[in-house]
Amino acid sequence: MTGDSSARIAFDDVHVGFGRGGKRVEVIDGVSFDVRPGEFVSVLGPSGCGKSTLLNVAAGFLAPDAGEVRFDGERVTRPDSRRGVVFQQYAIFPWLTVEKNIAFGLTLKRNRRSRAETQESVRRYIELMGLEGFEKSPPKQLSGGMRQRVALARAYATDPDVLLLDEPFAALDAQTREFMQELLHEASQAERRAAMLITHSVEEAIYLSHRIVVLGNRPTRVHEVVDVDVPWPRSPESRLQPEFLELRGHLEGVMRSLSGSAFRKAHP
Amino acid sequence: MTALRRTVLPFAGFAVVIAAWWLTATTGITGKEVPTPGEVFAAAWEGLREPEGLLVDIRLSVLRVLIGVAVGCALSLPVGFALAWFPTLRAMFDPIINFCRALPPIALSPLVIIYVGIGEEARLLVLVWAAFFASVVVLYEGIAAVEDIYVRAGRALGASDLELFRRVIVPATVPQMFVAVRVALGVSWATLVAAELIAAQRGLGWTIQRSASFFRTEEVYAGILLIGFCALLMDMGVRLVQARAVSWQERVVR
Repeated sequence: MTGDSSARIAFDDVHVGFGRGGKRVEVIDGVSFDVRPGEFVSVLGPSGCGKSTLLNVAAGFLAPDAGEVRFDGERVTRPDSRRGVVFQQYAIFPWLTVEKNIAFGLTLKRNRRSRAETQESVRRYIELMGLEGFEKSPPKQLSGGMRQRVALARAYATDPDVLLLDEPFAALDAQTREFMQELLHEASQAERRAAMLITHSVEEAIYLSHRIVVLGNRPTRVHEVVDVDVPWPRSPESRLQPEFLELRGHLEGVMRSLSGSAFRKAHP
Repeated sequence: MTALRRTVLPFAGFAVVIAAWWLTATTGITGKEVPTPGEVFAAAWEGLREPEGLLVDIRLSVLRVLIGVAVGCALSLPVGFALAWFPTLRAMFDPIINFCRALPPIALSPLVIIYVGIGEEARLLVLVWAAFFASVVVLYEGIAAVEDIYVRAGRALGASDLELFRRVIVPATVPQMFVAVRVALGVSWATLVAAELIAAQRGLGWTIQRSASFFRTEEVYAGILLIGFCALLMDMGVRLVQARAVSWQERVVR
């Protein structure tokens, strides 16, 4: 699988640790997997296993200690707007209105567009994310779910080849989270961009993904990779289909046993 | 309730303190001579009405503070950004800045007189010194604390270093700039008396010293009150501008 030249993102034996000497902690202990063009891959793992660390390496925020992440065959060394990032804490700029947040990437030298193109792009993603009527609103007037929609629109607007999503819905309430999952699913249907979603929600991972990479406890390796056979495209009813329920049962069991063994290790 | 709280309670606070002051003065409980609020207000009113009176002193002192704060903050802005951006510089200069910040301006005035003389620029130098060191610390701590998540978001969207600075770091720091100006204003008013110790002709600090040497206690009080009011009004002015300029800021309402 690794070294597959058709991969958009390729993790190749990535190692990451923090600290020095006796205080050194290995977090990622040789992780390899791919995200192919147009593929939606979720990275599922118990809390504290280093999922977000993997995303930071893929985004170019953090250099691995060994191994590498390749993006379209090139080694990732720094952030790049071809890899859009959506953060758990939204990170939309509070001093800019909704539309200026979405246009931000397009007004930078790196991906500057004509005025008309920028406006067209902003309008398109405002519509895709259901933000009509809030173009001029400052972020402080928006709910958490709407802020995250602005962040998604901003990430889509620069036309990235892959979207890196770092537990984007973890801070939202259960109802909003389900709605956002459906919205993101529809958007990724329309956009067909590769995506890598970090999550600790089994349900979210199944609902959105073609494939799920399950990570083990720290120091983390790939525990297993599963293909999601739930028919495509998905809808709220998909959550009740036998394939969905069966996979959910399996993955919840895996997560429980991983969390359990981590708990026993910490509290012998 | 909040509207009431904002408009009435600040005045109620003053009323309580003035009442306590009036009681202290009229009962003679301290055994010292304390002028009553009425006497002090009368002295202030008298001074304000006098031609070439307190109004001249107020204008001079306000001007000195404004120049001191303007020059001090104009210097601390680039220095603050430089220190926040380059950790090596910060490690090098942080101790010396805190050292200078801790020096009381009044202790510096003899040296200022020796090297700069007793002209207006000597007084302004003391004020600039105070405003600079007070604001530079607030600034670089604030800039260094710009949330990393905004920097990451900017980089992931394709911002170059310069774009990141202009379009993320600077706007994110604007609230901190207002805090820095307010701190500089407060420190400059506090330093005014020291600055006007340097052979000043006129100014509120100068009035206080002169009145003290003639044992005109109520005029001393009047001078102190006027400094307080000027400082308060300026701070309110800055806060008014701040509320408009950074209306995007989310404030925790309790």
